[in-house]
Amino acid sequence: MKMKKAKIIFQPCGRRGKVPTGISIVEASRIVGADVEALCGEKKVCGKCKVHIEEGTFQKLGVTSSLRHVSPWQEEEEKFISPEERMQGYRLGCCAKIWGDLLVFVPEQSRVGKQVVSKAARDIPISHNPAIMSYYVQLCPPTIEDSTADFQRLYDALKKEFGLKDLRIDVQTLRGLSLVLRQGNWNVTVSVWMDREIVRVRPGKEERCYGLAVDIGTTTVVGHFCDLKTMKLLNTVSFMNPQCRYGEDVMSRITYHMTTEGGLARMSQALIDGLNHMVEEGLSGMRVDGDVSSEKGEECVPLSGGDIEDMTIVCNTVMHHILLKINPEYVGSSPFPPAVAQSLDVKAHDLGIHIHPSAYVHMLPIEAGFVGADNVGVLIEEEPYKSEEIQLIIDIGTNGELVIGNKDKLISSSCATGPALEGAQLKFGMRAAPGAIERIKIDFSTHDVDYKVIGRDAWRGYSQAEEIKAKGICGSGILDVFAELYRCGIIRKSGAFNREEKSNRFRKNAETMELEFVIAWAQETSIKKDIVITQNDIRQVQLAKGAVYCGCKLMMRHLGIDKVDRVKIAGAFGNHVDREKALIMGLFPDCEINRIVPIGNAAGDGARIALLNREKRKEADWVCRHVEYLELTLEKDFQDEFVKAMQIPHMVDAFPHLEGLVSEEILHQ
Amino acid sequence: MKKKNELYKEISDAVVDFDEERAMVLAKESLELGFDPVETILKGISAGMIVVGDLFERKEYFVPEVLMCADAMQRGLDILTPHIPKENVSQKATIVIGTVQGDVHDIGKNIVKLMLEVGGYNVHDLGKDVAYESFVEEMNRTNADIVGMSAMMTTTMMGMEKGVKMIRESNPDVAIMLGGAPLTAEIVQKFGADGYSATAGTVLEDTGNLLQRLGKVGS
Repeated sequence: MKMKKAKIIFQPCGRRGKVPTGISIVEASRIVGADVEALCGEKKVCGKCKVHIEEGTFQKLGVTSSLRHVSPWQEEEEKFISPEERMQGYRLGCCAKIWGDLLVFVPEQSRVGKQVVSKAARDIPISHNPAIMSYYVQLCPPTIEDSTADFQRLYDALKKEFGLKDLRIDVQTLRGLSLVLRQGNWNVTVSVWMDREIVRVRPGKEERCYGLAVDIGTTTVVGHFCDLKTMKLLNTVSFMNPQCRYGEDVMSRITYHMTTEGGLARMSQALIDGLNHMVEEGLSGMRVDGDVSSEKGEECVPLSGGDIEDMTIVCNTVMHHILLKINPEYVGSSPFPPAVAQSLDVKAHDLGIHIHPSAYVHMLPIEAGFVGADNVGVLIEEEPYKSEEIQLIIDIGTNGELVIGNKDKLISSSCATGPALEGAQLKFGMRAAPGAIERIKIDFSTHDVDYKVIGRDAWRGYSQAEEIKAKGICGSGILDVFAELYRCGIIRKSGAFNREEKSNRFRKNAETMELEFVIAWAQETSIKKDIVITQNDIRQVQLAKGAVYCGCKLMMRHLGIDKVDRVKIAGAFGNHVDREKALIMGLFPDCEINRIVPIGNAAGDGARIALLNREKRKEADWVCRHVEYLELTLEKDFQDEFVKAMQIPHMVDAFPHLEGLVSEEILHQ
Repeated sequence: MKKKNELYKEISDAVVDFDEERAMVLAKESLELGFDPVETILKGISAGMIVVGDLFERKEYFVPEVLMCADAMQRGLDILTPHIPKENVSQKATIVIGTVQGDVHDIGKNIVKLMLEVGGYNVHDLGKDVAYESFVEEMNRTNADIVGMSAMMTTTMMGMEKGVKMIRESNPDVAIMLGGAPLTAEIVQKFGADGYSATAGTVLEDTGNLLQRLGKVGS
């Protein structure tokens, strides 16, 4: 009797597969490598496997999911799932058995193995000039002779002592003003935004002042908590964008809005809830004037969201619009116009973000439909417009933005890299998390494979097979393997597997009839399957890297240059990329190795700079209007250049700097 | 004197090996030997591209190879087509093709167009970012049997449903095929279209089947 199968997709990790019906969601998660937490071993007593069953048809994922596709409610679930949660669609993964196709969202607390996010902040020089300045004033209380209004009294004092003119105040702060003045015995600390508006009044003399810089990526969100007085970075918190369940990329999120009533509000709220959760988490771990590293015994100051008085956000255009609940529909079709491109200052209260309600959230400006505020963040951080040398800045995340130029001219463009370079859509691709193969080396003579897995220091060469527990390959691992397969002659310049390959790792898959190369044997994995790279995986990476190279080349041609002085690689990916491998795979035109520089999460650093230096906001406003946006697909030989760039490292362009890194016969095949 | 089948195989190989020079030389040779150009095209050049389509389907050939093979094919065709008597011009179906409104991705569509031309169809390519009204206009102008539309983004794909309706209202008899990365057989059905091809490699087969299924001539 043929076993009936159902399709199951787990978010946010993206692992999916066809599983037999009748098994529990926890079991299914094991099979596809999603790993839902099951502390009690599915005995229905720990409640740690709580998951959310999505309802609806998700076209991009090719699945129609419903609560009706799981077995009925069980008594044991009542202990862990409240009636509201039950109505919202939560179930225990051990109790819910699969009857039909499902899209399952696994909340953070039910996940085994937290995603490794490296959007860490870098140590960069920043001039101190935040948007928020605080002033301590001592006022005379009202008397019979002088019954001036409370606010007027404050206003006059700030004008007289500090020269601050025409100060405004919003109704929220006004509501608490009279009480605060009297609590402080008429001595108060006032936080003023951009010398224009009073956003906070506190009794007495208060020294501390905090701000938050956020980078909202399509997949990952990072928040940097800063001391606005000392500029010290106090804490960095990151989390997966909760919108991932509505679509892996920006296009599918736009489509979700177009096809679902209330979809925009839902996506927006999911993100805002995530941000608020991040604020709570970030503040709870904060030290007085601390380092990011934690030490026991150091005094921890209890802070709340209301202590954050200023916020900056960088993000791509679609994330920007969804956050603000602005219709993103038209950004999704040519000519991709954003609804608004200039920088915005929005009250935290209006957005529902739980920092000080009167605080302003500064959204950095947008360059174009697919070159957003995040790219602007990178620009004010790297300042290519101040440099003589010609820089090429590549920012690869879920989307890819390119900027090239120097103080004379800057051009930007966007290339649809897609999630391939992050590991998604590849057979064994996964996001960076424990178990992901992040580094791969292939021996030139034997073609044997050594690799390193996240969460484990020892490489395969130094480990027993059963200890490794590999689960899949993440972005940096994909880059490595692509370059290594080419360097060792296992794949040709065209990307096709070399049919003459002798290694037993190279084979034709009996089921799919596709050619593949084994990276990790089943016994080295936790999913009990050989982890392979397929011919199709190679083609996906070729498309992505071809798009980036083509973008670089067309922009260089537009500027009239044939080489660049420096290549800077940004994005969460940027810290992990091996620059030799990036050059070998032909991600960008030939360049001296030591002129290739990883710049980490420059966008997030840019948000931080804008938070701490208001002049940088003006600079951002200026630079985004002075970068020329190039629509690559309109260039007359776009197709030709794109196609040529799909080969490794390129069909015709020379790569003199690969001499020595790649053998003669392979480089000149 | 070289035998026909031998020469046809050599031409087919030249296309598969994307050898433009050789394709051109062999095409000339076939004319010198007095072979029927229509047959040479069918059994030499088209046969070669069909092999290419299969290799592409199996991912052994990728986009660059397919386009280079198409160049070799074109060189051969440039030599042979001027020698085809007017009456023998292909009786096959007419197809209007394009990438839909708001979408600027056309490499996939270009490869599909190649394969259809190889298969002897009469193809009118409207390019990219094509308004649905233009599809209707061109369909009527050319008396097309099939309208093929491509989209690469889920956002632009959403407009296809209305496009299909517009086309049907103007001509209920035309066959509509959809394709592109986000499309699936189910979506195509939901939008009310008639046919779907997952990749350029199988498009000739799919088109032939569609025409037969709908009982249309010219397949």
